[in-house]
Order: sequence, then C-alpha cells, then structure tokens
Amino acid sequence: MVIVTALIALIQLDAAKSGKPSILAVAVGSSALYVQSAVTAASSALRDAGSGLSDAPRLAGENAALRARNRELAAENAQLSEALAEVPDARAIARAQALEPGGVVASIIGYDPENVFRQITLDRGANGGIAPDQGVVTEDGIVGRVIAVTPLESTVLLVTDGASKVPAVVQRGRWWGIATGTNGRIRLQYVSQDAKLRVGDTVVTGEGRSFHAGLAIGKITRVDHPEGALYQTAVVEPAVPFGRLSHVVVLPQPHGPAPQTAPRLDDSGASAGPP
Amino acid sequence: MPVRTSEDIARTRAFWAANKPLETHAPAYTPDPPVWWHVALALAVALILQATFAPFVTFRGGAPSLVTLLVAWYAVRTGSLRGLAFGLIAGTCEDALAGSSGVAWTFATGLAGLAAGRLARTWLADTKLALVPGAAAVTLLRYGAFAIGMQMQGRPLVLPLEHLHAALWQSALDALLTFVALQFAPGLLRGDLAHRR
Repeated sequence: MVIVTALIALIQLDAAKSGKPSILAVAVGSSALYVQSAVTAASSALRDAGSGLSDAPRLAGENAALRARNRELAAENAQLSEALAEVPDARAIARAQALEPGGVVASIIGYDPENVFRQITLDRGANGGIAPDQGVVTEDGIVGRVIAVTPLESTVLLVTDGASKVPAVVQRGRWWGIATGTNGRIRLQYVSQDAKLRVGDTVVTGEGRSFHAGLAIGKITRVDHPEGALYQTAVVEPAVPFGRLSHVVVLPQPHGPAPQTAPRLDDSGASAGPP
Repeated sequence: MPVRTSEDIARTRAFWAANKPLETHAPAYTPDPPVWWHVALALAVALILQATFAPFVTFRGGAPSLVTLLVAWYAVRTGSLRGLAFGLIAGTCEDALAGSSGVAWTFATGLAGLAAGRLARTWLADTKLALVPGAAAVTLLRYGAFAIGMQMQGRPLVLPLEHLHAALWQSALDALLTFVALQFAPGLLRGDLAHRR
C-alpha cells in the first residue's frame, strides 16, 4: 500500500513538474468520459420517458386533432376536385340554358337496361315540368326527344336510335332531309339528288314539333350518291358526345304542349319537311 | 361432388311431382329454392348494374343480360312455374326501367324463365356444361319474344338486322358469363343426377 501510494505520488509529482497531465489523470478522465456519457444518455432517456409519459395525453390529443384535420382536408380536396371536374360541364349546361332560358336542366341517371334502345333516363319528370315530345339538347347540339314521362323521371330517345327521325337541313345549301338514327350514328336520308353534299357539311334541325330550327345535329362524314336513286343519303357524326353526357337541357315545346296520347317514336310532326 | 342424402332425393322427387304440369322429366339439379330476399337483392343489383352500365359494356351491339341469367338460374334451381313467375317479375322491372317497351320484356322474360326451367328437366341438362349453350338459347328466345311483343304492341323494332346482330352477341356473352360462373362458382347449382337412377 505504501509502495502504491508512493508510486502515485511520484507519478503526479513528475507530471506536475513536466506540466503535462499524468497518465493517471488521463486514464481516469477517459474512463469518466465514457461513464459520464453513459450516465447522461441514460438520464436523458429517463427524462424523455418521463416527459413523454407526462405529455402522452396531450400528444394523443394533438394526434387525433391532426388526423381529424387530415380527414377534413382530404374530403375538402375530393370535393374541390369534383367541383373542378364539373366546371366545364356546368359551363356547357349554363351556355345551353342561356340559348333557351325556359329549358329545364336535368341529370342523366340511367340507360336502357338491355341497350336495345338508344335512350337515357333523366331525373326530372312531370313534376319537373317535362312532357312527352320535348326536345333535349346540350350546348353541342341535339340529344333526343322525351318519349315517356313519369312524375319523377323521364325517358329520352336519343337521336341515334333507329326509331328516331328528325327533320334536318344541311346548313351550307339549305337542302332538306330526315335525320334517322342507326343505333350509333345518324343517317341523313331523302336528300334531293340535286344537293351538292360534301364531307364536313354541318347538319342542323329543321323546324319541328320538338326542336327549333338551327340546332346542330352533326357533321357529314360520308356521302352516298347512288346512281339512279331518287334520293341521296349521308352518314352524319353526331355533334353531341353521347358517351360523356351527364347533364342535358330539356327544351320547352316550340309549338305548345302535345296532346296527351301514346308517345310517338318519330318526329314527323314537322311544320316543314323535305321537298 | 356433394353427397346426396335420401332426404335430398325425396325432396327432389316431391318437388318434381309438385311441378309436374310443366315438368315431364326429373330435374337435372337438386331443387333448392334460394332464399327469396337473396334473389330479390340479386335482381335489384342486376337491374341497377344494367341500367347504369349497359351502354358501356356493349360489345358489337350486344350487352350481357344479367337479368336473363338470374332468371334462368332461378328457374333451373326451382322449376318452370317459379321460373315463369320470377321472369314475369323481373321483366316487369325491366319494362319499368326501359320506359318505352310496354310489356314486351315482362312476357319475354317470363317465357325465358319457363324455358330455362323446362330445359333443365330434359336430357340436355345432364351435364352442367350443357347450360352454356342453354343460356345462349334462352337469351335468343327472350330477345325474339321481345321483338314479337314489340310488334304486337304496334311498335316494331326498326333495323331488324342490327337487332339480330345484337341478340346473337348478347347470347354469346351470356353463354360466356354462364361458363365463367360455372367454373368459378360451382355452388350455384348442385346435383348429381342420382335421383334419375
């Protein structure tokens, strides 16, 4: 013990004389460093754990609030996205309704369940002022004609259905014809052989029971001019994109309400027709 | 293959006897009427799906008819009389949704139910795969009956060739759906023809 004490004293005296930290001081200091680090880390962890435990209710509350806010924002985002998607549609409907202020805006809620008829079901019926034979349009052109009405909904025969017939005029030369559906497109029939039909000509409605004159039906994509036939025909691409319809405008009847009889499948009540 | 108990066979025979006015053969499948509200729910779902998506699942003019398949399935499981009754109900719903078909779907679908129930009680239904062309035949029969019904109501279908084309494609699609259903849901029908032996 005396020897160890003397050794320590000599080492310290030697270090003090040389002005450098003694080997013992370095060893103790290094050891203390690790111990202190470990103790500090442990105490920090304990402090954090303690504060975490004490803050748990507050953090849980904050977390719940943030989750709720996140849900609100997600819902708001979805609503805004939907509203943004509807803006062009709403604008188109507004423009179509501006053309016919007395028209009724209706949404499409269904189709023919067997797709035998090209027709759509609207969410407005007799209670909404809809009656048979009223024309249905969008900003792009004519959609079809109301053929059946219940108090809450109505059925519209599309202009592309085989049973649909609409008096039509080729805008460029005022040549008359009848626009008939082909279960997909439209065929312009009974056009005089004198007419100089061209691909790209615009076809519009003639004055009839359901439509005013001048509403777009579509553009000619092919002309059939058979030799020896009394009339020529043309294939017309509809102006209305039927696959993307969601809202339409139901026009008031140009010539007053139709008599309440069984719905007709053509628009032969035209006031003027082909020659 | 499920094990048939004597109770099953007795029930089969009793059911067949009850349907005898229209059943000249024993059914190929175990008569097993589904729970009524399951069928009602399935009909509602089929109608809503068709009225919402029919134009978007049309292939070459023909759209598959879930209602026809549902009626045929019910008729195969229960018999011609019940098939007829259910077909009339389903057809009435379709006429209500179509708006311009009068009562054509009502009677056409009733006839389809009757025919499907009858078909399942002939040798044609001895194998389940025979139900695939059976579904096509019932679909064609229904479409034809619908066209006749429209004609009788004074509203004949225009563009008859287009409709014939659509009917053929619809029957092909219905047959395909039947095949898929039999492959992936064999539990829709159960029967081993034991009662015929």
